[in-house]
Amino acid sequence: MRALLATMVRIVVSVGGGYAATSGIVSALAVVLFRCGLTRSEAVVLASMLGFGVYLGLLLWGIAAPRLWRFALGLALLAGGGFAVAWLMHGGVVWIG
Amino acid sequence: MKPTFRQSMQWLHTWAGVVLGAVLMAVFWSGTLLVFDREIDRWMAPMTRLPVIETSTPLDPMIRPFIATAVEVGASSITVALPYEREPTLRVSFRDVSGLARYNLDPGTGRILPDPETAAATDFLYRFHYSMHIRFANVGIWLVGLAGMALLALCVSGIAIHRKILADFFTFRPSKNQRRAILDLHNAAGVLGLPFNVVITLSGMIIFYAEYFPSAVRSLYPNAASYYSEIFDSHSRPKSHVPADAISVDTVRHAAQKIWNGDRIQYLVINHPGDAAASMRVVRATDNIVLLQGDTAFFDAATGALLYHRAKPEPVKRAQGFIAGLHFAQFQHWTLRWLYFVLGLSGCVMIATGYVYWVDKRRKRHEQQGLSGVRLVEGLAVGSTTGLIIATLAFFVANRLLPLGTTFLGYERAALEGWAFYFAWIVTFAHAWLRPRRAWIEQCWWIAAFAVAAVLLNGITTGDHLVRSLTHRHLWAIAGMDLLLLAGAMVAALAAGKLQRRAVAPPASSARGRPPSDGIE
Repeated sequence: MRALLATMVRIVVSVGGGYAATSGIVSALAVVLFRCGLTRSEAVVLASMLGFGVYLGLLLWGIAAPRLWRFALGLALLAGGGFAVAWLMHGGVVWIG
Repeated sequence: MKPTFRQSMQWLHTWAGVVLGAVLMAVFWSGTLLVFDREIDRWMAPMTRLPVIETSTPLDPMIRPFIATAVEVGASSITVALPYEREPTLRVSFRDVSGLARYNLDPGTGRILPDPETAAATDFLYRFHYSMHIRFANVGIWLVGLAGMALLALCVSGIAIHRKILADFFTFRPSKNQRRAILDLHNAAGVLGLPFNVVITLSGMIIFYAEYFPSAVRSLYPNAASYYSEIFDSHSRPKSHVPADAISVDTVRHAAQKIWNGDRIQYLVINHPGDAAASMRVVRATDNIVLLQGDTAFFDAATGALLYHRAKPEPVKRAQGFIAGLHFAQFQHWTLRWLYFVLGLSGCVMIATGYVYWVDKRRKRHEQQGLSGVRLVEGLAVGSTTGLIIATLAFFVANRLLPLGTTFLGYERAALEGWAFYFAWIVTFAHAWLRPRRAWIEQCWWIAAFAVAAVLLNGITTGDHLVRSLTHRHLWAIAGMDLLLLAGAMVAALAAGKLQRRAVAPPASSARGRPPSDGIE
């Protein structure tokens, strides 16, 4: 029963947390690509397409990670960092006008 | 969670397949059928089985009355889809007060064809393929996306758990023992089909990139609408409120074809019909390219002057369009079309054998320990393989049995066909759980019966039986569908017969044997 619960938690963390982290990475990537000179829509499309690979990697990592809490911490950092970068740099975009 | 990476991947491969196999099967099966979407449409809408006309046939006389009507009812636009080999009707649609008015015309005579009253493949199966018809909060699209990610994870984990990937290319031992043969088939389909499975799954999800990763759009655009208005290349100008006649559709069509080296026109849209500021948007067909976004040109509808012709899309959007085009397979290439079909079927075989292997391996142990898992999963496996095929065939049979104009409980014919699909599907699941021992055999017989019934009903209700359809070029789509149905019936009957013989006399020697030893234990 405990094993089943642990498995469920791992799946939820991998699928849900993995998506949140991917989402953060994708938004940061979109902003960074835009800053690197891609047009806005090009940056969106490229970042989104790469997102599928990122998510796949995170899913596999989540299933294979020996310690779930370390994986969860990694996800939290990636999601938080990603959205923070996007937010900060997007603020910059707005300043530029 | 498992001591080694390989064991973790093993666990992932086992359980992701069991939990999401039914969704994967539904998406793979419907996608395989959709390779021949227009052909299924012709089969399900007999009034549209028309000989293909010459592309130079003037369309103006046929379209003019509809433009006049559209102007009268104040439609903001009118769309004209041009006939071609796979879709031989001329389709005109515009929005009036009562909703979308749609007409199918015979381009040879200009006659308005009766409403097909079917959602057929390009609507029903298409929506089923990407959303399973679950519209609530886009749950269906996300479920299919999750299954897509699972399939990618299954591909990676499938490779990770194999030491002898190359040997699996050449290994198939159907006579060794049953479980070994199932596993060999699963491996062969999985390894040979690997490039296709990865590309088709990834490309399917990349079509919906903005749906699955809205955060990318949100980080650079104030809202989704502003993003779409930027990427959907369009040209618009306000209505002048000065009435004017539109010039010949054929003139504009030929002007556009001149830009595109004579390539076919897919469809054209007249904006603000009847106004002096009316424009025609002309879209090039993608017969000879993979890229999905067809070229678009805008013409002044009053003078025929070219207003705007967009440049090529930027490189990343072009790449995305190419990937989407790989998935939609709208190019005209029959060899590739059949290859897509065969590879799609091999994907279905991979999913089905994965299920069967899971069940077969645990059957004895679960029986001894009194566990119900095998029974549950076997029901799921039966319902999502043979059951899904039966549901599809019930959809075809219902299409041939329901007369035009049928309504039932307020539902129209097109919706009733869909209900037939889902009703049959539910019945097969119930049957599989109620009669676990006999379900495979009986459902194989049902497949054979339904498929033969569909062919017979097509012959009886439309007169396009095989002798006729094979000898008329424009009915080859019908002949192809009938022949595939008969081939399917034959395979199903052979399978049923074989399973039946095995159920009567379980072979003592071949049922046992050495367990597989390539890491799948």
